[in-house]
Amino acid sequence: MSVGHVARLLEAQGIATVVIAVAAFRERLEAMSLPRLVITPHLMGRPLGMPSDAARQRAVLLAALALLENAAQGKAVTVMPHAPGSS
Amino acid sequence: MSELPTDPTPDSFTAFKDSFSYGARSDLNFKFLKNLSDADAAGFVQELLHRLGDAFDDGDMSRLLEHVLTWQARGYAGAGRWTYVDAPFTPLRKPLAASRLALLTSSGHFVAGDDPQPFGIPHMTQAQAEARINDFIQEEPVLSVIPTDTLTANLRVRHGGYDIRSAQADPNVAFPLDRLRELAQEGRIGELAPAAYSFVGACAQTPLLKRIGPAWAELLQAQAVDAVVLVPV
Repeated sequence: MSVGHVARLLEAQGIATVVIAVAAFRERLEAMSLPRLVITPHLMGRPLGMPSDAARQRAVLLAALALLENAAQGKAVTVMPHAPGSS
Repeated sequence: MSELPTDPTPDSFTAFKDSFSYGARSDLNFKFLKNLSDADAAGFVQELLHRLGDAFDDGDMSRLLEHVLTWQARGYAGAGRWTYVDAPFTPLRKPLAASRLALLTSSGHFVAGDDPQPFGIPHMTQAQAEARINDFIQEEPVLSVIPTDTLTANLRVRHGGYDIRSAQADPNVAFPLDRLRELAQEGRIGELAPAAYSFVGACAQTPLLKRIGPAWAELLQAQAVDAVVLVPV
């Protein structure tokens, strides 16, 4: 869970972070008490969605950016629903 | 008449399911099978085949994806080794449209011609990286610097911990540089930092925590980065 450590270290140094991770990592990352976490319903190795699915990749990033702007405190989690018409 | 070759000893089901995790049948999409009980792994395979049968008829793959997603999550269930009670938190200081954003991932991407050469091996293959996964997790991570204007066609990826085929076909699945450039161009983000970063997340945790991670934080601070999008794989 290297990225969880990096998120916490950056945040402690005054840099805002958001982590984008697949659902399989949810419990492990939540246990690390991350500042902001977006959970995506995608397979491991493809946290932003399938190859060439630019619309989905963009939607995931927009969710991450919204969390960066709107989270008022740490352990903020957004769970993304499945994309319409896919799994 | 020659003797028939003797059958090799067949695998037990336990050995079979475990072999997908860096064993004889290594397949990193399915390495989670090793984390399942025999009964659960057997149930997973049976249901997978049943759903495959349905997919033959209507071509709808989503039921297969859904099934694998569910069981990947079960395979990784549990809090793991690192638990913390409190979350450090830095609010975004400025509107995003005026902020400088960086991308940092543990996907193992790097720019062609700038191979981090793990263990001093030039042109290490993905298969070699998978074979040495236990060495990687004891090795300090190396941060690859990827200039923000790098064409994604010039990105390479190698990581012994996951199936890189998707991240190779389209780096944006784990290293969304194209998508972030678009959002910066549209003004949703003020600007991107001059470089994005990637490392192999399967690495020694203690030096990352004590020394290397803090150094990365200083590096990003020196570039006046306001916020970082982090992507583990």
